[in-house]
Amino acid sequence: MTAVAPAGAAAPARTRTSLRGAGTPGTLRLMLITLVGASALWGILGAWTVGQHASAAAQVATSSEPLSLDARQLYQSLSDADVTATTAFLAGPPEPLAVRQRYEADLARAAADLSALRAADANSADAPALAAISADLPVYAGYVQQAQAYSALGHPLTGGSFMQVASEQMHLRLLPAARQIYTSQNAALGAASARATGLPLIVLVLLLAVAIGVALLRTQRWLTRRTHRIVNYGLLAATAAVIVATVWLAVAFTTARTDLERSLGHGSTPAELLARAAIAAQQARADEVLNLISRSGSASFQQDFTAMRTTIGPGSGSLLAAAAGAAPTGAGAQAVAAAERDASSWYSVAGRVFRLDVAANYAAETRLVIAPGAGGSAAGFSRLESDIGRGIAADQVVFTAGATAGSGAFGGLEAGIIVAALIMAAGSGWGLTRRLAEYR
Amino acid sequence: MALKLRRVLALCAVALLGCAASAAGVTACATPPQPPPVHATGPGIGSRGGLPATPGSARLTLTETGSTLLYPLLRTWAAAYHGKYPNITITTAPTGSGTGIADASAGTADLGASDAFLSSGNLVLDPDLLNVPLAISAQQINYNLPGLGPGVHVKLNGAVLARMYSGSITTWNDPAIAALNRGVRLPAIRVVPLHRAESSGDTFLFSSYLSTGDPGWNAAIGYGTVVAWPPVPAARAEQGNSGMVAACAVTRGCVAYVGISYLTQALAAGLGEAALQNAAGHFVLPDGPSLRAAVASFVPATPQNETISMVNGPAAGGYPIVNFEYAIVAARQRSPAKARAIKAFLHWVITSGNAAGYLGQVRFQPLPAPIVTLADAQIGGIR
Repeated sequence: MTAVAPAGAAAPARTRTSLRGAGTPGTLRLMLITLVGASALWGILGAWTVGQHASAAAQVATSSEPLSLDARQLYQSLSDADVTATTAFLAGPPEPLAVRQRYEADLARAAADLSALRAADANSADAPALAAISADLPVYAGYVQQAQAYSALGHPLTGGSFMQVASEQMHLRLLPAARQIYTSQNAALGAASARATGLPLIVLVLLLAVAIGVALLRTQRWLTRRTHRIVNYGLLAATAAVIVATVWLAVAFTTARTDLERSLGHGSTPAELLARAAIAAQQARADEVLNLISRSGSASFQQDFTAMRTTIGPGSGSLLAAAAGAAPTGAGAQAVAAAERDASSWYSVAGRVFRLDVAANYAAETRLVIAPGAGGSAAGFSRLESDIGRGIAADQVVFTAGATAGSGAFGGLEAGIIVAALIMAAGSGWGLTRRLAEYR
Repeated sequence: MALKLRRVLALCAVALLGCAASAAGVTACATPPQPPPVHATGPGIGSRGGLPATPGSARLTLTETGSTLLYPLLRTWAAAYHGKYPNITITTAPTGSGTGIADASAGTADLGASDAFLSSGNLVLDPDLLNVPLAISAQQINYNLPGLGPGVHVKLNGAVLARMYSGSITTWNDPAIAALNRGVRLPAIRVVPLHRAESSGDTFLFSSYLSTGDPGWNAAIGYGTVVAWPPVPAARAEQGNSGMVAACAVTRGCVAYVGISYLTQALAAGLGEAALQNAAGHFVLPDGPSLRAAVASFVPATPQNETISMVNGPAAGGYPIVNFEYAIVAARQRSPAKARAIKAFLHWVITSGNAAGYLGQVRFQPLPAPIVTLADAQIGGIR
């Protein structure tokens, strides 16, 4: 800044006085050095800054987002494995094939996401949580296997106690670790986006460009007065280059910032809220099923169901309400509205489930919890789950579109700035050298 | 690492498919799988070296509430421990298992005594709670049949008991009961099934036994701390184990499920004690060897947090209705001194406190050594 500002604002004033002393060739030489130097410096700084923003924007789209998705899918797969395994246990033995396949697919997906996250190792703070999941997942699967084996051998009560131990392993160890990884990957996504849209350096580059432009204009005015030549084509070309580059930079940056902020605010944020709602819904469903497996007489499952219900919504402060607020229009909003309706009707079925439990009508309760049919709890939960899934998919489309557009807005800009800086330096150099030559 | 995990998961999947294929009860999965490897972190699992031999010198009062079944034994343990370490006082209160769990969770009691392990619902709401087994308990089936003769134990099984409690067997000389008791002259008196009036761990154990013995019962009624008992005209609801014993004592033809610690009272009241059929088909009485055998078959499979249901286990000589009595305790204590005293007391209970001199009065059985080891690991996690 200090190296350049005098060239624009103060240099002509100084040259006017020095003209009487050192004479015009000296002044022209000083202008030449200042303008060429400032152009080169601006080119380097501008290209570097744009490179930084472009790579941060690209990181959002190509690296942070996929990792955040892996982390979310890991979290959701584990949560889904829990609710699927408990439901399968209640329905068996033998466990229905489709449910068993879903459980196995959950574990396979969790293992794949775990591998992807470990391979990326983007955030070494996650290493302990990733290691904990690697170690605890086989233990969980072992407990589920024991539950199924005891049940198949005619010891359903022992099987049931193992199913509870498995679920405890999931809720007390695996899911908290998965939540931690998801939170940290989400924070990394937010940080990459903040780097892509952060202001300070880009404002500096724009101010410098304006300063150089002013210096070029004042230099041309000075030359016009001194040499009585109307146009200096070199300086004119340099001025045009700085104007084009500045406008391009400003437009590209504003577009990228808008796109990325929209992708986060209307894409990533509601998707994240809905993912949390999906996981809370799975926990609520597991409460309903485990209550029937444990029959402990404790109200704890119903209490937890009620807590999850408040968390999910609808209702002020709930996840569904927040997701609706973040994405008020479009396919995502429609899915959230459907989720709010289907959640309410599922809760009323669950209310009947818990009333049957209090009445110790376990046969009717079991039918209501696991039997297929539109009026059952399984169907109600499944409708809510698919609404939330559709919402997440729609939000994901918004996010990906915004992140790709935001990242694309910087396309060619880095090269453009270098070319502009070269034109500015060459134009200033050529234009002023021709004037200098007239003094020989 | 990821490859290794995949391999483990693949093995698990193969094992699952194997078990499903052999649901009929043969081949690879006929023996219950072994517990997964131990990981020494997380709630409930602490280092084994952290157990203090003494409760420390601080003057402390530990409060206990919970199971009425455990109450007499806990009072004896508390007195003995106070005698050994006069600076430690332990107060006990028979409030019922549910209150004991709630008090331990809320921190209004240092220890909760429970006839059942924590439900995973309790643990999701309060992940800090541990259930530490203290002793082996069991449930007996008593009846009032005068004139059977000394030393005769009526043989019963889950299917027959389910029919007695469903009202399809109405007299003691029913052919289904007689078929189990050849050579015994069963009286032609009416069956009066007694069940608990309130929510009870005893009802949970008994209805579990009926559910494993009779698929029809399991489908229609099921198991639970509360059960929708079939409407049987003769049936009666009683409060607590003492209510069951007292009512049975004055009701000819009664059948009642009662905690093993009431056996002395039941025998003194002239009640008979049934030999129950186990999963292997043998009729066994609830005594030391049959209780220990029943639990032994579950020892290799017991998970780290010692949550396990052992009703109708596979042991040939095992009594079918056995369970652990538990202490419910928070892993995070308010002060190191209190944590130390709780750890020392619980460790004493499952070792010295498991001597016959203490357990004999309530007919409980001592914990097997591997269960003590797992319990010590849990106790070591208290901070």
